[in-house]
Amino acid sequence: MTRTSAGRVRELFVYPVKGLSAQPLDHTELRPGEGVPYDRRYALARPDGAYRPGTREGLSKREFYALVSDHRLAGLGTHLDTETDVLTARVGGHDVLRADLRTERGRDGAARFFARILDLPAGVTPLLAREPGRRFTDAAAAGDGPMGWISLVNLASVRDLESRTGRVVDPRRFRANVLVDGLPAWSELELIGQEFDLGGVRVRAVHRTKRCAATEVDPDTGRRDLPVVTLLDRTYGHQLMGVHLEVRTAGSVRRGSDLVL
Amino acid sequence: MSSELRLRVSEAADLTPAVRRFVLRDPDGGALPAYEPGAHVVVTVPAGHKRGYSLVEPGGARPREYVVCVRRDDAGRGGSASMHRDVTMGTELVVSAPANGFPLEPSPRYLFIAGGIGITPIRAMVRRLRAGGRTGVRLLYLTRSAAETPFLNEFGGPEDTVHHSDGHGPLDLWPHLAVPDDDVRVYCCGPAPLMRAVRTLTAHWRASRIHMEEFTAAGTGMSLPFTAVWAPDGRRVPVPAHLSLLAALRRAGVRVDSSCEAGVCGTCRLTVLDGEVDHRDAVSTEKERLGSMVACVSRAGSPEIVVGPYENEEPV
Repeated sequence: MTRTSAGRVRELFVYPVKGLSAQPLDHTELRPGEGVPYDRRYALARPDGAYRPGTREGLSKREFYALVSDHRLAGLGTHLDTETDVLTARVGGHDVLRADLRTERGRDGAARFFARILDLPAGVTPLLAREPGRRFTDAAAAGDGPMGWISLVNLASVRDLESRTGRVVDPRRFRANVLVDGLPAWSELELIGQEFDLGGVRVRAVHRTKRCAATEVDPDTGRRDLPVVTLLDRTYGHQLMGVHLEVRTAGSVRRGSDLVL
Repeated sequence: MSSELRLRVSEAADLTPAVRRFVLRDPDGGALPAYEPGAHVVVTVPAGHKRGYSLVEPGGARPREYVVCVRRDDAGRGGSASMHRDVTMGTELVVSAPANGFPLEPSPRYLFIAGGIGITPIRAMVRRLRAGGRTGVRLLYLTRSAAETPFLNEFGGPEDTVHHSDGHGPLDLWPHLAVPDDDVRVYCCGPAPLMRAVRTLTAHWRASRIHMEEFTAAGTGMSLPFTAVWAPDGRRVPVPAHLSLLAALRRAGVRVDSSCEAGVCGTCRLTVLDGEVDHRDAVSTEKERLGSMVACVSRAGSPEIVVGPYENEEPV
C-alpha cells in the first residue's frame, strides 16, 4: 500500500490561557496522550463557580470566563511567554499588562486587569486557575483522556462554509491547534477511529467537534459578529467543524508537515 | 395614538458651509414633550424622507423648542439635501416625539469624543453637565478644519480639545484612553472609523463605561438568510444575509414604501402573520412588535416568515 501525503499542516497554535489569544508556533513536540505543550495551562475561573485551587477533575467551560460568554476578551492581544510565565496584553498596539504569573503580585495584577475587562462587580475577581499536569480544554469535562486531545480544523471545510454562505469565516474563530489543507472538504469528519501520521507523530481521530457560540466572536475585534453555529446548522444540518485527535506516539509536528493517511 | 407633532421652523441658519441649524417650535407657542441629552427626533423632510436628528440642546421637562443641526450630504439619499434646500423660516414639519437611545448616565467624570456632526448629541450632554458648574467633563472634538466645526467658539475651555485633521492628521486618541478609569464614562459619536478606533482602544476598559451612539438600531449585528412569504400572493422570496427584507422584497417585485431605511422611521412596517422576528429597529412600540416588523433592518428569527402589508389600526 502506498502512503502519500493527503494534506499539509498550514498553521500550528497554542492557547496558553483559555479564552485569550492564539500564539502561532513553528513546531511543537507532542507526547502520547498529551496536548500541545502549554495549551490551556491557565484559565480565568469564575470565583462563584466549581473551580477551587487544587481541583483535579475537568470542569465545564461554563466554570470559566471564555469567549462563549465574554467576547470582549478577544479585543485584547495577549501573549504568555512559556519560558517565564510572563503574561502581556496589548490594545491597539500598546502594552496594557505585564504580569509575572509566577509571583503573587503578578497573579493579583492579572486578576484585577481581567476583572475590569469582564466588567465584574467591585471586589469580584476571576481566579487565575493553574493545576500542575492539567489543562483547561473544553474536552477536559469529558475526562482526563479527552483533556489531552489536540484539535484539528480542515481549511477546505471552512472554505466550503464560506462559499455556501457568502460570508468570510476566519478559521481562527475555531481556535484549533492544527490547521490543515489539502484534504477534501469535510473528509476529516470521516476519519473518526482512523490513525494517521501528522508530521512525525501518529495520531488517531477520536471525536468530531461540535461548535458553540465562541465561534461567533471575531478573533481580532472581539465583536460577536457572525452566527457561525447557525450558519453551519442551516447549511449542513450539523454544528460540526473539525475533529479532536489523540496523540499516539512522541514526535514533532511542524508548519508544513505532511498529513499521511 | 400618534406621537407625531406638527412644528414650525422659527430659525434656520448656517453654522458652517455644510451644517445648518433649525429651531422647531409649536405654532401655538406651547411647551413640547420632554427629553434628556442624547435624545433624537425623526423629522419628515419636505421631500418625504424621514430622518433621525439628535437634539443639540440639553432639554428638560417642558422644552419650548427642539434644535437640530443637519449636515448636507450630497452623496446621501436626499434627506439632508431637502432640509437644506426646502426648509426655511415658517416651514411646518412633522416631527416625532423625542426618543433616547444614547442616554447620559451618572458618573463622577466624563470623556466625550465627537467626530464632525457627531457633536450634536454630545453638545447637549456637555452643556447639561457644565450648566451645573461641573468639572471633569472632558471633550475631544475632531473635525476637518476650523471652518467646518459647528459650535467652535463654545469649546475653547480648559477641558476641551478641538482637533482639526487638515494639516495635523488624525488625533492620537491613545493618551486619552491608555489608562482605564472606572470613574469615567466615555461617550462617542461620529463617523464609523472613529467609533471603531474608540472601540478598539477601550478593549481594556469596563464595557459598561463605554457608550456609543449607534444610529442604525443595534440588534446582534449578525444577519442570516431566511425565506419571506408574501401573504397576498404566497410568493416565496429568499432573503440572503447581505440583503434586507425590504431590498429582497423589492427585487422580487413587491412594492413596499420606505423612507429612512435605517430603522428609525417605521414607514416600511409590515404585518407579520407567521414566524419569529429579530427586531432591530428603533421605532416600534412593544405592541407593534407583537404583530409587525420594520423591513429595512429587522430580520426573521426563524427560517421562514410570512408578511403582508401593514394596516395602521385605529387606537382602541
